[in-house]
Amino acid sequence: GKERTTSGEGRERKAGPAALGLVRRTDRVVSGSHLAPLLGLTDPGFSDCPDLKMSRVTTALGGSVLTGRTMHCHLDAPANAISVCRDAAQVVVAGRSIFKIYAIEEEQFVEKLNLRVGRKPSLNLSCADVVWHQMDENLLATAATNGVVVTWNLGRPSRNKQDQLFTEHKRTVNKVCFHPTEAHVLLSGSQDGFMKCFDLRRKDSVSTFSGEATEAGQGTPREWVMTGCCVLRLHPSFAHGFLWRLYVAAPWGTLPSGCSKGAPRQSESVRDVQFSIRDYFTFASTFENGNVQLWDIRRPDRCERMFTAHNGPVFCCDWHPEDRGWLATGGRDKMVKVWDMTTHRAKEMHCVQTIASVARVKWRPECRHHLATCSMMVDHNIYVWDVRRPFVPAAMFEEHRDVTTGIAWRHPHDPSFLLSGSKDSSLCQHLFRDASQPVERANPEGLCYGLFGDLAFAAKESLVAAESGRKPYTGDRRHPIFFKRKLDPAEPFAGLASSALSVFETEPGGGAMRWFVDTAERYALAGRPLAELCDHNAKVARELGRNQVAQTWTMLRTIYCSPGLLPTANLSHSMGKGGSCGLQLMNSFNLKDMAPGLGSETRLDRSKGDARSDTVLLDSSATLITNEDNEETEGSDVPADYLLGDVEGEDDELYLLDPEHTHPEEPECVLLQEAFPLRHEIVDTPPGPEHLQDKADSPHVSGSEADVASLAPVDSSFSLLSVSHALYDSRLPPDFFSVLVRDMLHFYAEQGDVQMAVSVLIVLGERVRKDIDEQTQEHWYTSYIDLLQRFRLWNVSNEVVKLSTSRAVSCLNQASTTLHVNCSHCKRPMSSRGWVCDRCHRCASMCAVCHHVVKGLFVWCQGCSHGGHLQHIMKWLEGSSHCPAGCGHLCEYS
Amino acid sequence: MVSVINTVDTSHEDMIHDAQMDYYGTRLATCSSDRSVKIFDVRNGGQILIADLRGHEGPVWQVAWAHPMYGNILASCSYDRKVIIWREENGTWEKSHEHAGHDSSVNSVCWAPHDYGLILACGSSDGAISLLTYTGEGQWEVKKINNAHTIGCNAVSWAPAVVPGSLVDQPSGQKPNYIKKFASGGCDNLIKLWKEEEDGQWKEEQKLEAHSDWVRDVAWAPSIGLPTSTIASCSQDGRVFIWTCDDASGNTWSPKLLHKFNDVVWHVSWSITANILAVSGGDNKVTLWKESVDGQWVCISDVNKGQGSMSASVTEGQQNEQ
Repeated sequence: GKERTTSGEGRERKAGPAALGLVRRTDRVVSGSHLAPLLGLTDPGFSDCPDLKMSRVTTALGGSVLTGRTMHCHLDAPANAISVCRDAAQVVVAGRSIFKIYAIEEEQFVEKLNLRVGRKPSLNLSCADVVWHQMDENLLATAATNGVVVTWNLGRPSRNKQDQLFTEHKRTVNKVCFHPTEAHVLLSGSQDGFMKCFDLRRKDSVSTFSGEATEAGQGTPREWVMTGCCVLRLHPSFAHGFLWRLYVAAPWGTLPSGCSKGAPRQSESVRDVQFSIRDYFTFASTFENGNVQLWDIRRPDRCERMFTAHNGPVFCCDWHPEDRGWLATGGRDKMVKVWDMTTHRAKEMHCVQTIASVARVKWRPECRHHLATCSMMVDHNIYVWDVRRPFVPAAMFEEHRDVTTGIAWRHPHDPSFLLSGSKDSSLCQHLFRDASQPVERANPEGLCYGLFGDLAFAAKESLVAAESGRKPYTGDRRHPIFFKRKLDPAEPFAGLASSALSVFETEPGGGAMRWFVDTAERYALAGRPLAELCDHNAKVARELGRNQVAQTWTMLRTIYCSPGLLPTANLSHSMGKGGSCGLQLMNSFNLKDMAPGLGSETRLDRSKGDARSDTVLLDSSATLITNEDNEETEGSDVPADYLLGDVEGEDDELYLLDPEHTHPEEPECVLLQEAFPLRHEIVDTPPGPEHLQDKADSPHVSGSEADVASLAPVDSSFSLLSVSHALYDSRLPPDFFSVLVRDMLHFYAEQGDVQMAVSVLIVLGERVRKDIDEQTQEHWYTSYIDLLQRFRLWNVSNEVVKLSTSRAVSCLNQASTTLHVNCSHCKRPMSSRGWVCDRCHRCASMCAVCHHVVKGLFVWCQGCSHGGHLQHIMKWLEGSSHCPAGCGHLCEYS
Repeated sequence: MVSVINTVDTSHEDMIHDAQMDYYGTRLATCSSDRSVKIFDVRNGGQILIADLRGHEGPVWQVAWAHPMYGNILASCSYDRKVIIWREENGTWEKSHEHAGHDSSVNSVCWAPHDYGLILACGSSDGAISLLTYTGEGQWEVKKINNAHTIGCNAVSWAPAVVPGSLVDQPSGQKPNYIKKFASGGCDNLIKLWKEEEDGQWKEEQKLEAHSDWVRDVAWAPSIGLPTSTIASCSQDGRVFIWTCDDASGNTWSPKLLHKFNDVVWHVSWSITANILAVSGGDNKVTLWKESVDGQWVCISDVNKGQGSMSASVTEGQQNEQ
């Protein structure tokens, strides 16, 4: 454990034990076995530190082990900055009215020292920043809001520990920074646009750097006098102290700088200055104009490099503790950027997007890609990011109730303890294992059932790739497979996430809906004899591989179209089901001997309708005929009588009629032929007496009114159906199957096949309707119509609406007509339902005669658009042809 | 029985958190940690990027399509505490409204059934659920249910517009007086059902307790011909429950354990006809479940994300279908 390889140990070795002003606590040292959980080793989310082993930690911490818990203590005032002593056991908190040192104990913070002494603390004590020297435990520096830089020596015996005072800056000093390895060098950056380097053994700054300086090799060269400096360049491995003495000894007055020579222009404010940890002479500074400058401490005349890092002020920067050239910067543009400064031009390596402006950034020890940030406003949380995963913070500390102003890792080699100070006047120690991890909360998968039963599923790709080991893009153009990003096997990183999104196709059992569309399009619901419909639909179902459904249709046919009933069913079926149009249409053909031309034309329309090509035409023609037909049916009983006569007495005549019904183009004619032989058996069955009664009743049933008394509540055509039932009833009760059919419909509905339920409902019409309560029917109808519309099967949906018997459903077709009305005064659309226009606050439709609001019929002249109550206008126009509004228009109402 | 039609190249730079198909199944919206929302045309197995919506400042957790009768509208919610409503106008997608009424990450958004108008429910980590109602002319009215779930709300899902029993008093043919309801799931391990009172205030109607860890998703089943209300819920505890309510008053809900998985279950999604439930879990698998005749839920297949083909275990439930 004595082998030390990192720079931190080097520093540690240098610090003399004599320099310790405060006794180092040893009771905090515990055995390594307690350490593992504390360091967050069990965190699954932080595989970034896979080599974080107990032994390593112990080594890194030089034999002492940190213990502690998440804790906080109340401060008397808001903190502006914090800094940790190199022993990791004390923290200094500084603010406008606070400057205290706390000991970090296992269970709590204990106030050790108040550095704000004196009755009336001067403005020098109003601290914007504080830094504790990482080599000398007695040495601190503060930056005051009045531009003063103060150093503090804790080793002073007096109560006042103030050591030196530098009053060179004109405005607030935003940042102070000790050289990481050089004991006496302090750097400051101020709002006044200058950075100053102090040698603590001198009373003044040794050099001044101006943000205005031009980049090396650019701009107009000035007169440089470089006495002394060249010596420094010769051999950087010289003993540091010696070098600095040399440097200090140089004639400073001769060194040009933006401030000492020429009129200083208004410089951009310096927000942060940081010595490079690895490069002895280098420091970085950040500016309010978005620039970052890289300086060689020996060359105050010009910066080595300058580039624009952010859009807006760059509030902070931090050098990577291990990666020599990496600099992280944070800005008001809410971004943290990681730059590689070793290349000729600063190269942006990573960019993290936070949700608020970035006030502080600190690399996490021992975790190459982690850094902590806190923000300047809005967001009070502290985040730890993995720079390779720039969108989601790896960890989040939510303890503070106000803006976090200072963050510091407790020990340069310990990744689990983070300290923070806040405007909410509290000081916190955060433990990594207690951090909330947004990634853990985040949903790594997206899942959606598509309309057609396809599944869209997005999942973390890393997992996927590992599991399936499937080959990347194989060149199959038909089903291209892309990967967003190939995982680099050289750098396994579980936290790095990209997702693969796939769309899966499921088969019918899995929810695929292709069958639904096909079925909806091909089913015949009306316009043909029941048997035909059943057969047709069974065929459709069978062709789509839906055997159970096909079987159901066949059964229905058997149940409701038993041989003897067939002819009756033919006619009555279409009536019962078609309700308002389809069946009566057919009736009219037969009964009234319409011209064959018209008949066939209508039939054509019907079949077109089935094919869903020409609804409008179909609708209009069908409706027309229906209307006529209705009138006639209602007007005289003759047709019905005629029909009934046929049914009773002469089946043969019906046979003759049938071929006329059947359109030659229809493929289903085959089915009809099949039906013939079956019929013959029934001929022998004598019609029952009830049948006669029914028949006698039927003519009295009016076309549209429901007849509660009879079995046929809806229309006259239904009576025919009851007749046929009667025929059959001699052997089976009328409701024999109805329970079964009802259960069957419910079954299908529950299976999610509301299509089947509705289709059967329509096809069977009155045969089953009475067995199922209105509400359920309505629900099925609306569900089915919704589904059809989702699949954009507008024609089918329209047909279903038309064929439905539920009033709530059938009125859907009349529901979607909207009239848009504009105000007659301001010409703007009338948004509300009232009579007053929202915009011009006038009544929109005033009668030009009586000057009252017209709430009913409004008649107006299309020429001048004046008008009013119909009665008033009519009356007015009897006496005058001029507009009643007095506009002079000669109105014409026709 | 399940095969990959398409692997969509989303070009998202980080994890995808949600993927939603629109009403007609032709477009797919995805959202990701990379702060973007993308819309793809996926007709005929294609994948054409239609829009790349930028506007969020944090990971985007969820997206939701509004009913097309209101136009092409998509809502997204993000870690940046905002809900953005995007709208397509003349072929271009633009931000139409931004809701910043939450104090923490907004985890879930869901549009109400179209019958109610344009209403969006948003569940947030701050424990509140907000309801945005479009009142016309670009204005949105906000109602907020504070402390809906302590620690946070993870999911919201609306009840279908036709709730069994709600029509009882309605004479058929008259427009039913809808009772608006939705379900939410949260970090308090609870599922809560919310109902709009007559005065327009939202009230907690039911508290469904069965999960022993965060509820990750709730999905109210579409009411396609079903006589009962059904809700599926899944949780961090690996369990998926099916909640059903038979009585008209809607007060008695009984849970049935669908399955206990070994890992977190992230999503549940009902098929369009509500007879099949897709479940996706931490093991990166999607399983499809169906209720058999005897009321048991059986797994009819599982989709192993990577493989594309899947083991088809034909079960009783499936045979019934065919």
